Amino acid sequence: MSYTLQFGQVTGYLPYLAGGAWISLQIAFLAFCGGMVIGLFGAMAKTFGGRALNHLVGGYVTFFMNTPQLVQIYFIYFALPDAGILLTSYEAVLIGMTLNAGAYLTEIQRAGFESVHRNEMEAAETLGMTLMQRVRYVVLPHIARVLFPPLSNQYILMTLGTSMAAIFGVEELTGRAFNVNAETFRSIEVFSLTAGLYIVVTLAATLLLGLFGRFMFRAKMRLY
Amino acid sequence: MLARIVAEAPEFFSYYNIVFLLEAMLATFALSAVGCVIGFAAGFFLAVSRRTISVLLLPLRALTAAFIEMFRRIPFLVTLMMVFFVFQVLGLDISMFSVALISVCLIATAFIAEIIRAGLESVHRTQWDTAAAMNMNLIQTLRYVIMPQAWKIILPPVFSFFILFIKDTALASQIGVVELTYAGKVLNNKGFSAALVFGSILILYFILSYPLAKFGARLEQKLAAARNS
Repeated sequence: MSYTLQFGQVTGYLPYLAGGAWISLQIAFLAFCGGMVIGLFGAMAKTFGGRALNHLVGGYVTFFMNTPQLVQIYFIYFALPDAGILLTSYEAVLIGMTLNAGAYLTEIQRAGFESVHRNEMEAAETLGMTLMQRVRYVVLPHIARVLFPPLSNQYILMTLGTSMAAIFGVEELTGRAFNVNAETFRSIEVFSLTAGLYIVVTLAATLLLGLFGRFMFRAKMRLY
Repeated sequence: MLARIVAEAPEFFSYYNIVFLLEAMLATFALSAVGCVIGFAAGFFLAVSRRTISVLLLPLRALTAAFIEMFRRIPFLVTLMMVFFVFQVLGLDISMFSVALISVCLIATAFIAEIIRAGLESVHRTQWDTAAAMNMNLIQTLRYVIMPQAWKIILPPVFSFFILFIKDTALASQIGVVELTYAGKVLNNKGFSAALVFGSILILYFILSYPLAKFGARLEQKLAAARNS
């Protein structure tokens, strides 16, 4: 084997790649927020909704949890234009990731909803609270502490998941790595640098989320 | 969209295409299953090596911790690309399937090692101390004391990781491994409408993953019941 690693050419692209990491975090954040909203309503529907609503949400969750995210985005990006819905690659990736995250976050939040004691819900009902008020003032403060660690874990996994946006030509971290690779042909250097950036970004996210969780909710979390 | 799907369906579900899709489905399953079996063996070794206490083995423990932390934080696509280019540089002529398999093994090792570590830690400390007091070595402790208690906790998450990876191997289509997603791309390039092709691919993944997920849920319930009694 006669291959010498040469990082000189590649390090010049570091700011470009770091910019890509920022876009990765953006996509993950937007999809996570969208997924949280879907997940909240999904969990509400599964806990308080009737039979039909329960089956509908259950079907959505089961389908999205049992098929790959990549193929879901393929379907949104390539098949929906047949039905007259044209999306840019960024939009398609974002919608696909949001729907996929919605399914996983529904499951996580449903578990939280079920952990709230029946008595508390009945007490709130006796006080004449509407469903939204019960969720807002009784359920959410209760489950925030329990759910913060699994939710932040899901956020980290989603940050890694954004790498598949590169396949659709979105210029986030992996997409920019493909670009740099095409310009320099220093494949191993480029991808090890990219891997390093992913490690740095997710470590920073773990640390920040861990500190936030410890101070805000006194959740037991690892900081590294 | 629907009219086009109906028009193309008879041609799409020809004998050749169905065999092609089933073979691709088998490749998807094999990639995940073989990767997870090897990942389990290697992950077990890593998890156990983190429990050693000898000073001489400190570098091993540090390396293991670094390996696990690293590969849990690199996206599968990037790992795939790195393995792909490393083998290209080494000049070894191995198939794309092997490249994907090695990537799956690397990631699975890191994730399963963490699951097994959690399982080993779930056994109470006094059990470890008692085994040490009875002059058992590490292997004996694991064989006779720890594993009989820990496997019920380890197995369900390992199984759900295996199901998770059936879906993640879709990314292997990017380097040209003929698995389910790649089969979909090939058929789409042949001119079948994307809605029909990727719709079928989604359903095939569902058929593969859903029974396994159901089985995993039942396994978890059974083992949880066995643990509490």
